[in-house]
Amino acid sequence: MPPKFMSQLVSAWLAAASLAAAGTAVAAEPLRVGATYITSGTDPAKGSNGWALVSHGVGENLFTVDKDGRLVPELAEKAERTGDLTWTITLKPGRMFSDGTPVAAKALAAGFENTFVNNKAALATGGKLTFKAIDDLILKVKTEKPVPYIQALFAEWPLIAYKPASDGNAVFTGPYRIEAFKTDASITLEPNARFPGVDKRSPVNFHKFGDAQTMTLALESGELDLAFGLPSEVVSRLKASPDLTIKSFPVGYQYLAFLNTARPLLGDVKVRRALDLAFDRRELAAAINGGEPASGAYAAYFPFAGKEARPTDLAKAAALLDEAGWKKGASGMREKDGKPLRLLAITYPQRPDLVTMLPVVKAELARIGVATDTQVVENIQQVASAGDFDIALWAQHTAPSGDPAFFLNSMLRSGASLNYAKYASPEFDAILDRFATEGDPVKRVTIALDAQAKLFADAPASFLVSPVWYVGMSKRLRNYEPWGSDYHVLRADIGEAKQAR
Amino acid sequence: MNLVRFGIRSLTGLFAVSLASFAIITMMPADPVSIAIRVWNLPATDETVAALRVQWGLDQPLLPRYFRWLANFVTGDWGRSFRTGESVIAEFVERLPVSLSLGMAGLALAIVLAIPLGFFAAAYPRGLADRFSRALSVFVQAVPGFWLGLVLHWVLGVQLRWIRPFANDWTAIVLPVLLVALHSVAVLARVYRRDLTETAAQPHFRTALAKGLSERQALWRHGHRGAIYALLAAVRSEAGWVIGSTATMEILFGLPGISQFLVQSIAARDQMVLQAYVMVIAVWMLIVNGGAYLAMRLLDPRLA
Repeated sequence: MPPKFMSQLVSAWLAAASLAAAGTAVAAEPLRVGATYITSGTDPAKGSNGWALVSHGVGENLFTVDKDGRLVPELAEKAERTGDLTWTITLKPGRMFSDGTPVAAKALAAGFENTFVNNKAALATGGKLTFKAIDDLILKVKTEKPVPYIQALFAEWPLIAYKPASDGNAVFTGPYRIEAFKTDASITLEPNARFPGVDKRSPVNFHKFGDAQTMTLALESGELDLAFGLPSEVVSRLKASPDLTIKSFPVGYQYLAFLNTARPLLGDVKVRRALDLAFDRRELAAAINGGEPASGAYAAYFPFAGKEARPTDLAKAAALLDEAGWKKGASGMREKDGKPLRLLAITYPQRPDLVTMLPVVKAELARIGVATDTQVVENIQQVASAGDFDIALWAQHTAPSGDPAFFLNSMLRSGASLNYAKYASPEFDAILDRFATEGDPVKRVTIALDAQAKLFADAPASFLVSPVWYVGMSKRLRNYEPWGSDYHVLRADIGEAKQAR
Repeated sequence: MNLVRFGIRSLTGLFAVSLASFAIITMMPADPVSIAIRVWNLPATDETVAALRVQWGLDQPLLPRYFRWLANFVTGDWGRSFRTGESVIAEFVERLPVSLSLGMAGLALAIVLAIPLGFFAAAYPRGLADRFSRALSVFVQAVPGFWLGLVLHWVLGVQLRWIRPFANDWTAIVLPVLLVALHSVAVLARVYRRDLTETAAQPHFRTALAKGLSERQALWRHGHRGAIYALLAAVRSEAGWVIGSTATMEILFGLPGISQFLVQSIAARDQMVLQAYVMVIAVWMLIVNGGAYLAMRLLDPRLA
């Protein structure tokens, strides 16, 4: 086979491949957005797609939390209690789905009913809800359990508002509509012409990166207009670039460690409390170059947050381990009956800060003689659900609806679907039950503080860092103001620079 | 006749691969229904579990399931992904061009570059090309493709702005293709060089020199054909490596190929996707083997 022929063959093939690929390129100038996560599908009732679709600017809720952390109406105008378990929701007039049909109570009811059948996370606060459309703008809602403030329930991430379509898809109301979706890779968005201000928004190519460092390189090489969730260690380097704008913002997320109470070694509360005391939160915050030591389950700016940073006390931690029978051996590591105290700590690459924290956690636990194996797993939800871990480093928005109850009910109540620590405490559940009947915000703060005190005592989770996150923007999006953590990455007010259009 | 035998052997091999992979994937310890219930937050009622098992055909014994899958597969129905609910063949049709572009372009580029590199390495032993090809061969064995991809991206994309690995057009595959080719260039160039060097030690080569040909002319006229034959034999084994490199590049550069889809599907024990992937890879190996075999027949008529 003559090399010339081979060379011609390859050139021809490469040219053909290039032309084919070029043919798929979009003709307009879309915004290029990168993140380390993407919705896993377009079915809003499945898994955490409801959260992701709102984050992508595709969907909305009846109520939401605004830039200042206040719970405000979104698709709804107001909600009024009509009985112990019944409410009337009045919708805003004039709102449209992206297919041009009006947002009517009947359509929303069908969507919510579908969600309640298919997503257990929706049941966390009020149990199963039933819906009845009274007219186009009035929706009657009945909860299974008493809910003091239904506005907060409808701001929870599973309860995205949508209309089930006859072809099995869903129609949404947000500032963007889905043009194309490629599983695990990208989502192409067009401005929703039925949402006000359509002429101020460009199409968006939202690209998922498997690795935050790669996303950073894409931003640096001018391939992204917005990189959401930059690793903290690259921030100083990126700030030196005149073409980029880097902003940080406090988020409602908490970085925490779930301690699996169902595992033999962590079934002992003394061991869990010892771990909680061994974590040096200042060191962890410094390691990720952003954030404050956690004071409890909530970011410090919430009224129901703890007031003081969680303590570090190695001597007390060592004493607790001694009491539990875990004595230091000749190697300095602890063991009992010849068995070493060795734990498995896991986290996931979609939150790069957690990956940075993982070796620091290992080193901190080694100081009290606890050996740790570490693993970064691609699908943390699956591994955590299966209970295959001792310590799971986790990032969680603990008050996404501006209310403290949802996180505690959905992730720490006995038997809750997302209770990865397998924590089961009737006393704790009794504290949470008080949320159901208490509507006074001041008293709800007291309940949240009581619940946190119980968590500190039982240590099914160790709250580590209240982080700040970093976003990087090209000149085109330099006016972008990040807020609302990753619940509202793409918004109507995305702040695109006029001269770049 | 040989081609008929090749065809029969290939089909038998595909059948064996499909049966073995189906059995192994089915016997993997985690249950896809349990995974789906956990990941999608589905209510774990008996009805839900039973409905999913029926919907995904998991209520059937292994062999009937296999033969039903096989019949569907050959008629173009590759089933639906447990994870996404989408048609597997539709996903593959959309993603295969990306993976094939990477794999085929990488392999083709490697062949094109390996021939001159191997030739000059053989023509000038211990010369620049020889030293470079040897160093390259050690380098690509020692350095992970993932790391090299990040470094090259930083140098070529960020510092020099010569390439655009995340552009929304064909330029996005330039660096991944180069990286896929890099490993194979090193291997193929050394194979090509070794064969040329062996030829140079043969009596007929000395005769050619005695006739007045220069060493390069003699190598090209009397050694190249045999070395190409050796190179094509090496391409058959290199095709397997290319699959791994392609998967790495798809994940590193976020290219929506079949390997990127596969990684997520493994975690979900998405049997239809895993099975389709195994079959696609088996066919890829078969095509590369068949292509190399045909080319070798052309080069050496004794094989025919």
